[in-house]
Amino acid sequence: MADFSWNTQSALEKALVPGRHGVAGTQAGVTLEEVRDISLVQVMARRGRAAETAKAAKKLFGIEPPRAPGAAVARNATLIWSGPDQFIVFSARQADGQFAKVSKAFAGIASLSDQSDGRCLIRIGGPRARQALAKFCSLDLDDKAFPLGAAATTSIDHTAMNIWREADGTDGHAVFNMLVFTSFADSLWHMILDSSLEYGVQASSAHAA
Amino acid sequence: MRIACPFCGERENGEFTYLGDASPKRPNFAVDGGESPERVEDAFHDYVYLRDNLAGVMREYWYHGGGCRSWLVAERNTVTHEFVSVTAAPGAGAALAARAGE
Repeated sequence: MADFSWNTQSALEKALVPGRHGVAGTQAGVTLEEVRDISLVQVMARRGRAAETAKAAKKLFGIEPPRAPGAAVARNATLIWSGPDQFIVFSARQADGQFAKVSKAFAGIASLSDQSDGRCLIRIGGPRARQALAKFCSLDLDDKAFPLGAAATTSIDHTAMNIWREADGTDGHAVFNMLVFTSFADSLWHMILDSSLEYGVQASSAHAA
Repeated sequence: MRIACPFCGERENGEFTYLGDASPKRPNFAVDGGESPERVEDAFHDYVYLRDNLAGVMREYWYHGGGCRSWLVAERNTVTHEFVSVTAAPGAGAALAARAGE
């Protein structure tokens, strides 16, 4: 009997072709990067336990989870608002599953769900990122309306997306983190790439740091 | 049309789904409370099927499925499509307890 070997692979294994795409030029207008090996835990406070959930988060991460749309950066994790009294804990994947540690801290007060393999993280940056985003995202992503630390749950291409800003890129331009469902990631990647081609695209993948 | 979600801010209406009138309340009869079957049936018929067709400001349920996935209660003018107010429906989020009968 054949032995089965279950391998994990990126949802963008086929779609992501590293390198330059679209209009050639000295500088790519848009950089697209898939961040692999991520850990995501969805935390939803149970009824009447929102304050206790915030307290437990403060104890575990050293910061309170955002009460309104926003992303709070802690030492080892980013807490991203994803709805009233709920947030996503984003961090780099470690050998010992973080889920057990997080679920222990919220036992009895919040409902947790491991989304590490359920979502795909795509980072879009570069000088023309906002123009490319404007084609498929209806949010105002101007610096004034969507500054560092801003977050939103919205829809792109009829699909749910969590978008937030953490640090700007080394080129000084804003970087937008987009979390999408893995099952839609392939299709969305093509849509995002097509929207960016006219500005010149540099595509790559990276490991979460 | 743009709708100001109390949690997310102003968003395009494609992110929202319309349910309908937020006024009807589910009839609440005590079990074996002595109500006649006709009266119970009439009350449920009203609740399930009968709706007012308002020209003016109406309280409605909207669902922000393309965003924070919360149920909202909006006051909308059905003639002008102007939104007078948008608030969280009872039970949205975990902070508030849901009110009975809604």
